[in-house]
Parts: sequence; C-alpha cells; structure tokens
Amino acid sequence: MYLTREQERMLNGEFGWVVAKAMSIIVKTGEALGATKLVEVAHAHVSGVSYSNILDPGLEFIRSLFLGGGRARVYTTVNPGCVDYSGLSELIDGSYARKQAVIDDSLIKMGFKPVFTCIPYYHRPPAQGEFLAWGESSAVAVANSVFGASTNREGGPLALASALTGFTYYAGLHDPGNRVARVLVYVKDPRVRGNPGALGLWLGCRVREIPLVRGAGQGLADLKIMLAASAASGSHALVVLEGVTPRGFYSTDLVDKVEVEWGDVEEYIGTEPGGGSILGYLGCPHLYPWEFLEIYRQVVKRGVLPRDRRLLITIPVEVYERHYIEVLRLRRLGVDVAAGTCPVVSRLTRVFDHLVTNSGKAVFYLSKQLKAKYYLTNTLGVIRAVYGEGAG
Amino acid sequence: MRERVRVLVDGDCRAPLRVYNDYISFFGEVDPAAGTLRSVGEQIAGVALAFRGGRGSTVGSYVIYALKYYGREPSCMLVEEPEPIIITGCIMADIPLFQVRKGFLEEVGSKRAVLVHEKGRDYIELHFE
Repeated sequence: MYLTREQERMLNGEFGWVVAKAMSIIVKTGEALGATKLVEVAHAHVSGVSYSNILDPGLEFIRSLFLGGGRARVYTTVNPGCVDYSGLSELIDGSYARKQAVIDDSLIKMGFKPVFTCIPYYHRPPAQGEFLAWGESSAVAVANSVFGASTNREGGPLALASALTGFTYYAGLHDPGNRVARVLVYVKDPRVRGNPGALGLWLGCRVREIPLVRGAGQGLADLKIMLAASAASGSHALVVLEGVTPRGFYSTDLVDKVEVEWGDVEEYIGTEPGGGSILGYLGCPHLYPWEFLEIYRQVVKRGVLPRDRRLLITIPVEVYERHYIEVLRLRRLGVDVAAGTCPVVSRLTRVFDHLVTNSGKAVFYLSKQLKAKYYLTNTLGVIRAVYGEGAG
Repeated sequence: MRERVRVLVDGDCRAPLRVYNDYISFFGEVDPAAGTLRSVGEQIAGVALAFRGGRGSTVGSYVIYALKYYGREPSCMLVEEPEPIIITGCIMADIPLFQVRKGFLEEVGSKRAVLVHEKGRDYIELHFE
C-alpha cells in the first residue's frame, strides 16, 4: 500500500504506540481488502462502546488506547452505552454503570463527542461524497444510502483507529466502482411499504447484492428502520433508494429483478400478542426530536398504560435534554424513556411475554436474547398494541 | 487435498474443520466466553471455522477479540467473502484468516477433515478422515 511520509511515520511509531497500532489495524485491514492507499475522513463514528456488548476485553482495549495517549485527530461521535444517561429508566439495567463509566471516561478524554447515539447523522449530517469511517451498521447504511456519503461497515475498533489517525483505507464503498446496484427490488404493496422493519429483514436475508429499491417509503423515519433491519440481518451498507439516494454517488447494472409481495415479508412479522405481559419498544435506531414528539402526542392522548404493558422509548442524550419535560410526563403515564442507550446494547431488568416493536433490527437481536414472542408492526401499531387496541 | 487460499491474516493452523454454510454475526450469534455459535449450539473454540462471511453488527470485531481473551477462539477462520469487521477482529486477536473460493464450502460440506496451514504458504491442506 502506498503511504505518505506522514502516514509512514505514524505507522513506524513516531507518534506513539497507540497511533502506530491504530495505523497498523487500518493498513492491514485495507491491504486484506485490496486498498492501495489511505484517505482522510471527515467524521469517525465509534461503535462497540457498550460494556454489556464488549465486556472486559473491549473495556481494557479502549482504556489502554486512552492511557497510551490516544487522542482524536478528527471529529468523532460515539454509539450508545449500556446505561440510561437520564438515570431514571426502570427497564434498562444499570448494574454495569461503573464499568460503562470507565469506557465513557476514556472516550471523552480522547476527545470524542459523547452523543451516545446510533444516529450520528442527527448531530452532523454528512455531505455528499464525503469520506467517513463509521461503525454502527444502521448508521453506515443511512450515510451511504440517504446522504450519498461513503463509509464501509467498519468494525468498532477500526472506526476507533480512524478516529485516532484521521485516515481510513480506500476500498469497498469508497471506490465508486463498488457502488453498483445489481438487483431491482420493487415494492408495490402498500402493506409492505407500511412495515419497513419487515421489509428490511427480508432485504437483509434474501438479497446479497447491492439493491436498487423502488417504491419504499421516502421519509427518514421509515428509511432508517428499513436500513437498520437490512444491515443487521444481512450486511447491506448501501441500498440505493430510488428518489432518495443522490444521483452521481451510485451506478446501476441491473441483472435481476424481484417484486416483494406481502407473503414474502409475512414470515418476519411474528405473532400478534394475545394475553400476557407486553413490552412495546420504539427507538431503534434512536428517534429524532420530531419522531419523539409525535409518539409523545399519541401516548398522551391515550393516558396511563394498562397493567402488564410497558412502552420503552430510546432517544439520543441530546433529545432527552431538549425534551425532559415531555419525558417526565411520559414516565407518569407508565412509559419508560431511556437516553443514550437501547436494549440491543444493554440488558433489561425484567422479562416480558411479548415484544412489540417497529424495529426489524431490534427483533433480529432481541428475539434471541429475551426469548419473548415478538410482533413487528409500524410505530402506531406498537402504541395501539400496548394500549390493547389491537396492533392493526 | 491442497487448496489455494488468499491469506488475509497469516499464521499457523492445525485444527478440525467445521463448515457452517451461512453468514455469521459474531455479535448476537456467538457467545465469546463460552466459545459457542448460538444458532447451532456448537463449539467454535479450537476449530478451523469455515463460513460464508460476516453479517450484522459492527461490534463483531470486539466479539472475535473477546473469544481470544477468554481463550475460546477458533484456531483459524475461512470465509468466502471477507469484510472489515471480521478482518479487524482477526488482526486484533491474531487469528489466521483465509479467503476461500466460492463453492469451496459446499464441496467440503460435512466431511470430517483436519486443516493444516503453515505461515507463509498460500494454500491450506485438508486431511480427510
């Protein structure tokens, strides 16, 4: 791989062992993927910062980078941790708080922005064509597919390495030659469009190539649900969305065409809850303020939740700070709002018979962990289900 | 049987081959402390784990690193489709990683074999039982 003089000095340890190690991870990964050079990134987003996911090995790795003198060389944001940063959630287990604090302390002191969210594009929307090094598979898919920026699905430590060096390898989706859609996926049925989580799971499980999706919803709320699900169940980093993905940042060479019918996605929907305890969950990926306020309005007009029903909403720390009055009011109605975390990267304090959510990504990870029956619907469907109105 | 591979992370390996003809999300599907692949309930510690490629969470690299930390790591890994999450994890954990040609997993299938790779070589050897 060609390295500039500065990059070579970084790799040779002239900037300390942390920069050398970070550089070596980037160069070795890049070489394995056929990269011939490195490029500067505008924004690194570090995933893999939740103690309940990375445990002691990850904690010690991150801590050692900080103690070794690692510092951010580029604007860097961090993914959710495993504790509720509002401190009031009853459903998110806080028993790892001390361990998480060690990780957070290292990240903050290395100069990373402690946004603790999986939607870094809320804090800094990427520009078209910009090079990024993002972990968090759902955010990667949104950056490439919605904003027309370019990032590979970096593993957590790889994005961290880019934060500490300012570089990533030029391969994969940074190369326009790899941003080619090969399968046309046609969404005709409005029921399919209305359940973006299920559509995303189908896409992830059934389509390996980069798809060009025609007829999916156009709103960011639905798109981030669909992209998160397809990135979790498959490994889509770029889904070309007709009418959304900026032209000029992808090309097409369509060799196959599929139409998604309701019958195709039905198997991902699960079972509508009959009796038993129900956990409704919204906020995977995290909610924008306007999404949160819409849910707030829907909940407030319905009042106190019935017994054995809980609704969990997860939001970025900043949205909590802006809307804590609404959060407090929701709590009085039995709704649990957690900031800077989510059940995928934390543990829950209690078990439920049913999980009802709009998130295919949450279903993909939580149905394995919680051993609850799940039901995948849209946002309003989740609210209706926890209020016993039928999920519709 | 000798099979050419693309060496992504080099190192010696001698271990029983275990073919899993699917994609793996190390986060969620692998328990690093136990060294098991949850979806099939099987041990992956000390085997030559062949699978199609990675999927899912970018936390996967840390899970691979954690497998090594707990001493439950595969002796080496073989994938058809390499991607950054697995490559980075293997670099951090110093687990040899090889790219095999498409169709290799189906060909070998459930045959019992021991895989041998010596550092510096661009091939693996399979000794069938």
